[in-house]
Amino acid sequence: MPCDQALRLTSIGLASVSFIGLVLGASLPGWLMFLTASALMVTLLRTGPVNAITSVVRPVPLSATTWNILVLSGFLGFWIDSLWISGDLLASGIHFLLVLMVIKLFNLQHRRDYVHLYAISLVAILAAASRTSDLWYVPVFLAYLLAGVWTLLLFQLTKDTAVPSADLPRRLEPLESYSGVTPKLFWMANGLAAATFGLTLVMFFVIPRVNAGLYQKGYGENVRTSGFSDTVDLGSIGPIKRDRSVVMRVELPDRPTHEVGHFYVRGMAFDRYDGRSWANQLAHRRNLSEDSPEMFTLRGSKSHQLLSRGAALHQHIQLEPLDTPVLFAAPFAESVHGKFPAVQSDINGALYLPFPSSTRIEYTAVSRPNTISPDDSRPQPITYPESFLRHFLQMPVQSDRIAKLARDISESKQTVYEKAVAIQEHLSHNYQYSLDAPLAAQAHPLEEFLFVRKTGYCEHYATAMVMMLRSVGVPARLVTGFLATEWNEYGNYYVVRQQDAHAWVEVHLPQSGWVMMDPTPADGDSLAETLPAWHRVQSLLDSARLRWNRFFVQYSAADQLAVVRDIQTGGVSVRLWTLDSLASFLKPLTAAFEAGMSHLTGGYLTPVGTLVALLLAGCGAMAWLVWARPWKWPRRAAGAAGDEQVIVQLYRRTLRQLERRGLRKPAAMPPLQFIRIIQEEWSTASTAVACITELYCRARFGRVPLTTEELHHARETFKQLRSLSRS
Amino acid sequence: MMNSAQSIRAIQENISRVIKGKPEVIELTVVALLARGHLLLEDVPGVGKTTLAHSLARSLDCSFKRIQFTSDLLPSDIVGVSIFNRQKQAFEFMPGPIFANIVLADEINRTTPKTQSSLLEAMSEAQISVDNQTYPLSQPFMVIATQNPAEYHGTFPLPESQLDRFLMRLRIGYPSPDEEKKVLDRPQSLHPAEDLQPVLAAQDMLDLQAQADNVFMDESLTEYLLSIVQATRQSELLSLGVSTRGALALSRAVKALALVRGRNYCLPDDIKELAPTVLSHRIMMARTQGLRQRSFEQAERIIQDLVESVPVPV
Repeated sequence: MPCDQALRLTSIGLASVSFIGLVLGASLPGWLMFLTASALMVTLLRTGPVNAITSVVRPVPLSATTWNILVLSGFLGFWIDSLWISGDLLASGIHFLLVLMVIKLFNLQHRRDYVHLYAISLVAILAAASRTSDLWYVPVFLAYLLAGVWTLLLFQLTKDTAVPSADLPRRLEPLESYSGVTPKLFWMANGLAAATFGLTLVMFFVIPRVNAGLYQKGYGENVRTSGFSDTVDLGSIGPIKRDRSVVMRVELPDRPTHEVGHFYVRGMAFDRYDGRSWANQLAHRRNLSEDSPEMFTLRGSKSHQLLSRGAALHQHIQLEPLDTPVLFAAPFAESVHGKFPAVQSDINGALYLPFPSSTRIEYTAVSRPNTISPDDSRPQPITYPESFLRHFLQMPVQSDRIAKLARDISESKQTVYEKAVAIQEHLSHNYQYSLDAPLAAQAHPLEEFLFVRKTGYCEHYATAMVMMLRSVGVPARLVTGFLATEWNEYGNYYVVRQQDAHAWVEVHLPQSGWVMMDPTPADGDSLAETLPAWHRVQSLLDSARLRWNRFFVQYSAADQLAVVRDIQTGGVSVRLWTLDSLASFLKPLTAAFEAGMSHLTGGYLTPVGTLVALLLAGCGAMAWLVWARPWKWPRRAAGAAGDEQVIVQLYRRTLRQLERRGLRKPAAMPPLQFIRIIQEEWSTASTAVACITELYCRARFGRVPLTTEELHHARETFKQLRSLSRS
Repeated sequence: MMNSAQSIRAIQENISRVIKGKPEVIELTVVALLARGHLLLEDVPGVGKTTLAHSLARSLDCSFKRIQFTSDLLPSDIVGVSIFNRQKQAFEFMPGPIFANIVLADEINRTTPKTQSSLLEAMSEAQISVDNQTYPLSQPFMVIATQNPAEYHGTFPLPESQLDRFLMRLRIGYPSPDEEKKVLDRPQSLHPAEDLQPVLAAQDMLDLQAQADNVFMDESLTEYLLSIVQATRQSELLSLGVSTRGALALSRAVKALALVRGRNYCLPDDIKELAPTVLSHRIMMARTQGLRQRSFEQAERIIQDLVESVPVPV
């Protein structure tokens, strides 16, 4: 391919990559996206090799003034946009950038237009970087790097036409000596791109930083959640049960391998129900005491300290930016460890940040579930404080049917716990789980659920259970949170999605305190089912995303200092550290490969697996041979071509040396004829010149590779010639 | 078994025993043969044109025929004629003198265009068609034609389009006085070429021709050659430049010369050296050059000047 055409292609590629970066990073208006995409397509078609298309999409013949007016009006539009339409300088700047790109794409004629396009695409990719810190930016950035290196190389390899007059535009012309994209150039460009990336990586870890993602704050798309504000309408969780966006990822360091089952992540608890919606009347927040830096401990009430608690459970949680300040943890968090200015809690046991975070946050929580005390298996009278009962036995005005049902179920039971279990089992056995229950619109959604439809989802089950418990005098409250079921086997963590949003019940037992109970039948899993292969890839990608976030986005000055300290103490060499990081980064890939192999071979036929792998590798190699045809590669490989270059350089230097003696070789004089001239004019040097010329002719025109001795001999001869000319 | 360089040198030495003091002419003759080309010798009588052709044929152990062209020569006198055989009751083709390896066409401009063209057709096709029958000519096949530049009276000069069929046009020229003296001092023989011993079989010559085809020409040299050809087409001194056939001929000749010089690759020197010889008879000079001066030397000089203006690849 000729250099100039390749340059056009890579230039469009560069613009396209930065455009894709902006599309993924910033929310662009549809018309602008369409305009830019079609401009790129048209330019690409015009550059393409098909003449029929080329003739259809001719360049627009507009004068320079028209273009300038267009740019000016675009600038005007930028101000209008930033002041009235989007009202945001950065967003309107990005829009203006794309408009400029479209204008340039249609006016891509001279070298300066190309330079302008490169500048625009650079600003665009930077803008995209400022708007995101997600994993997709890596491939986009890599593609930009590759296209950039190619473009700049090709830009240097093409040259201005030597037109001195200013009125003729300077167009792209390939240099004579680089008539096209040779395999050598191809490998050089790709190698340079790889080297640049390697250097970037090193610099990323080494160069001091102030704060990553400067513009990122406040621009990230927060995930909209339901169920984590002070009031929650009944039925509001249902609509988000189909939303697959990730809310958080939970690692359990104590439980590195997957235990089959569910994992409850507690958000908020609600005490008051008015027949339509739940409210948290105990929302008064108190700051948690910060025992040690970044360590916030929940001081339990007196009753809590008396209770028998289970084993402590550590969770490492990575929380996506949400529209709620609630911090999530497994039921009954004791402490939270994270880089927060403060952590608050309310009486219902919910944890809060002072304000919702606009970036992804990471923290570690320690939780301890309540166990059911043996005392609770004996019936015993208990009296609660009045304020406690006011909150947790509150009921809206409703028909007696619910209370009657509750009494019917729990009449025969003696203890509070037994009553609760009876009601829980009644609900989970006699009612159908369904997301298509428009109960929220009903006047009495609970009665509708219990007596008419008998289908509903977690909120209905939980609300019904709380109401029934309260009607028989058992204190209870509704809890919202997530029920994680998706275990990522590559990264060993739970992926919690919007669709895992859940509501359940906490019952207060006289001795054990608040105990978790879930009346909802385990039926929600059917939604999460996807094809196993696709699921595998997805979870692999997700674990890569987690690592990307941990090792790159969250890589902070403190981590950097740690590395430096490590170097200084010499305890851990950087090399090992890097290797370890890489290994852990690549571990999912190798694990996936092994899993794939064991999946293919059924897990026990390892020799067959090896055979299949070898066969596949052989087929791949054959396909590569057929496709690439290495034997058709240019006659002499890099070594010989290098020799040829060396001897040609040496010959040129010889000519310069002779020129200094006044023996200039005319352009039209062939090499052997020149030797005869030298013999006549300067016979002492003729042997040396003849020797170099002979080797030069053989390597240059005969393409016969020179041996090392011959090259050495040529160099020595040249030295002789130089000393001759000095004497 | 001799290698190619030795074989070629043997031929040259063999011929130079007879043709004294003209090594460059002998070399170019061998080049023409290696390049499967034909030769046009343009010189005054008596400088050894016939002897050159004859001794080439003798050195190769090839058949040699000579045709003296006269104004009443007919095409059938060259290609042969079908004669009715009474015994067989059928026409029988009697091959003409063209059925030889080396054919000397003496004073080709003395015969009519009709006869000339029958020879030229045989030269380019390497076969003869008579009475709907095609007879291939023997290989190697080379025509050495001569014409006398001094006499114009009663001649039919070959048009440029037909001159194009010859690979190169050569002059032999008078030998230097010393060399001429050697010729006279030599023991007199009526046909000195007859005494030569063959040094190469015809089949070996075919092998050498195949080798010449395979000589490597670098891409930059092909471009150099073409820019010379292009220069002839753009020159104001010429009304007709070199054709594509001319470029092809130069390329073949250059490869053959490289082989003669003992190389398996071409050099810019080869191209520059051969360009006047191979191209000078393929051009038409502009009217401005004057009829008187539209001679052989003039054409060669124009080509030489053009070549001097084309830069050599480094």
